[in-house]
Amino acid sequence: MIRHLAGKVGGALVSLLFVVALGFLLFRVIPGDPVVAMTRGRPVTGDQLAELRARLGVDKPLTEQFVDYLAAAVRGDFGTSYVYSRPVLELIGERLWPTVLLTGTSTVLAVVIGLWLGIRGAWRRGSRSDRISTGLALAQWAMPTFWLGMLLSLATGDLFPSGGMRYPDTPPDFLSQSLDVAHHMVLPCLTMIAVVYAQYLLVMRSSLLEEMHADYLTTARAKGLRDDLVRRRHAVPNALLPTVTLVFLHLGLVVSGAITVETVFSWPGLGLLTYEALTGPDLPLLQGTFVVLAGAVITMNVFADLLYRVLDPRVRAS
Amino acid sequence: MSGLLELRDLSVHYRSARGEVTAVRSVSLGLESGQTLGLAGESGCGKSTVAMSVLRLLPRTARVEGQVLLDGEDVQGMTWGRLRAVRWAAASVVFQGAMHALNPVHRVGEQIAEPMRLHGVSGSVSALLDQVELPARAARAYPHELSGGQKQRVMIAMALACEPRLVIADEPTTALDVVVQAQVLAVLKRLVTERGIGLVMISHDLSVLASTCDRLAVMRHGQVVEEGPARQVIASPTHPHTQALAAAFPTVGDPASRHVTPSEVAPDGPVLLRAEGVRVDFGATRAVAGVDLEVRQGEIVALVGQSGSGKTTLARTLLGLQKPTAGRVLFEGRELPRSASGLRAYRRQVQLVLQDPTSALNPRHSVYEAVAEGLRIHRVQGDEAARVAEALSQAELRPPELFFPSLPHELSGGQRQRVVIAGALALGPRLLVADEPVASLDASVRGEILALLLRLRRELDLAALVITHDLGLAWTIADRVAVMYRGELVEQGTVEQVLLSPRHDYTRTLLAAVPHDQRSTRPNWTSSP
Repeated sequence: MIRHLAGKVGGALVSLLFVVALGFLLFRVIPGDPVVAMTRGRPVTGDQLAELRARLGVDKPLTEQFVDYLAAAVRGDFGTSYVYSRPVLELIGERLWPTVLLTGTSTVLAVVIGLWLGIRGAWRRGSRSDRISTGLALAQWAMPTFWLGMLLSLATGDLFPSGGMRYPDTPPDFLSQSLDVAHHMVLPCLTMIAVVYAQYLLVMRSSLLEEMHADYLTTARAKGLRDDLVRRRHAVPNALLPTVTLVFLHLGLVVSGAITVETVFSWPGLGLLTYEALTGPDLPLLQGTFVVLAGAVITMNVFADLLYRVLDPRVRAS
Repeated sequence: MSGLLELRDLSVHYRSARGEVTAVRSVSLGLESGQTLGLAGESGCGKSTVAMSVLRLLPRTARVEGQVLLDGEDVQGMTWGRLRAVRWAAASVVFQGAMHALNPVHRVGEQIAEPMRLHGVSGSVSALLDQVELPARAARAYPHELSGGQKQRVMIAMALACEPRLVIADEPTTALDVVVQAQVLAVLKRLVTERGIGLVMISHDLSVLASTCDRLAVMRHGQVVEEGPARQVIASPTHPHTQALAAAFPTVGDPASRHVTPSEVAPDGPVLLRAEGVRVDFGATRAVAGVDLEVRQGEIVALVGQSGSGKTTLARTLLGLQKPTAGRVLFEGRELPRSASGLRAYRRQVQLVLQDPTSALNPRHSVYEAVAEGLRIHRVQGDEAARVAEALSQAELRPPELFFPSLPHELSGGQRQRVVIAGALALGPRLLVADEPVASLDASVRGEILALLLRLRRELDLAALVITHDLGLAWTIADRVAVMYRGELVEQGTVEQVLLSPRHDYTRTLLAAVPHDQRSTRPNWTSSP
């Protein structure tokens, strides 16, 4: 078990290192000179530009920049943002919580809704409610997130705030603040849930359909179990196993998936930060968010793997 | 007046896209307490459908006519509540393939206890496990941690949990090898006599039924074609189908079922394949412990042993798929090449035929592609279509062109195995290694495939190493037998020597485990020669 854990964590670290390198190279390739972008609209001389380049360290050869970056990253220093002039790590730390709150809430709700509808659909396969719920989920999945977000905020009018995370004039006590954040979260949450729950529904549905032909369900029926007990006790837990992996894999992805939603609703999270950094391009900030987003996927991957071993005795043995 | 179970004019139809298919046609059978009724037939003959209809476990697409009386009460007329109460408490089922019939993620103890809790029956799981000769700690195991025989016993313990008066056992021993099969059958027989339950045994293997049943019904195409006391049905079958079934499971020692005449045996042909002191270790476990074996040209050698005896590992080593830890393998006097290209050339000479043709064939490849694949891998020059056609007709798929575009699911089990054999023949091999070549086939097809192997040997001078746990198969087609036990060859010799006057205790155990019937007198193997 410990050897397995060490192997997984080691593999994850290698992937992370690869991500750091890729993030560095990738953002050097995209067009746009940060120095030009920073000084746009201001009269600058060639000397001043050269001095700025030297200060940012972008005048050195690429390999040297990379080595410097890597050495700093290992120490936990991801550089200083060009735009905000503050350490990247600090900026990310500030924006992490709103993103976790938003994506966490919407993922939990989407998983619950998706699994529930998936189980119902599979058990009554081909019924009208199955066809309608599957069709609806697929249609919503196909919708562009930003478009759905804008549509929702148009349709609900003044019912929910369509931007930001809180009003500036809310009383500072905990209850009022929480209610205010919850109020702001309704629309972005709805948008995210509407788009992603279809995946959970489809995976749960197909995985349960596969289990439903399993012989041990006939055994359970022959024992005299009621239909809903057969489903609850035997079919669903086993069908949930592959779904668990997907949910965890997706938890990592969801953080980066929030980029559009956060941008549409100006939610002050990592997604919005990434979007802002892209317009620079604010290279250190971009690299930092890239590493965090990719790191989330890798971490969740390891978690999914370990959790699966705990849940499924068959995997544990091998 | 009525017995424990009575089927009156039972018919079952399945609705499908192509209209209604009748699976069971007017079957009438009866069973008293303390008796065993055998239901024999090939796959698809409707015997499992009959079993499932007793507890109304058929899928929704099934339409049932006639009556199923359980203790005089019609199962068809029961309310759902009454039916649930009857299920498992009055009648239980030992399902086919314990591997899949147990929930893979629940401990077996929980699964045995589940119906007891459900029906409010008191009892202990360890007492039940004890009845099927399993230790109490087995309750804490998950199904995948148990062997096939142990899982089957768990199924039996589970079936007994609510002390039902009727147990239906659907192919309870099919996936097991002879020794384990004999143990499981002994447990079932003991339970019938000790507890006076009624047992319905379903099997495609007449010899299994003959050794356990009082009465026997043979089914074909959904109908009972012959029914009577087991002894009588086996000893003097009247229906041709029963005769065919009986012939497919030969009795060792019965000259009528031996298809090899001594004149065909060529003991002094040149040695094709020779293993010298082959040993294979996997970590600390020794799978093959020093084996010497020879296969001569045109000779059929049977390698017999229980599962886990190392026979498959030995076969893989002979094919060059597994490197021996010690010892060497020689083909025509030369040691097996170690390079990838050398091994590829070697494997043209030695081809493998696997047990289950359904999983050995890619379901999306046509017959033509399946046979031609080997030719392409080995970059055989010449007319591909002609070679494929020749291989298919050698495997008796005629006319071959008709089979080119077929996909595996359109073929019968026997035809699929012929395709696998054709794939091997296309490369013009000298030796076939066949791993349980007929174990997954129906009784009537087995004979055909075995006849094909014999004909290939006669016409192409092909040698074969047949790996099997089935002594009857060895008796039918082999020239020589090698008995493998715990990684060693404990006995080797001609079929007559080894199977009629075995010298090693293990060979005697194997022979004694083969289900007995009263068809022929047999030598007494338990006495020392």
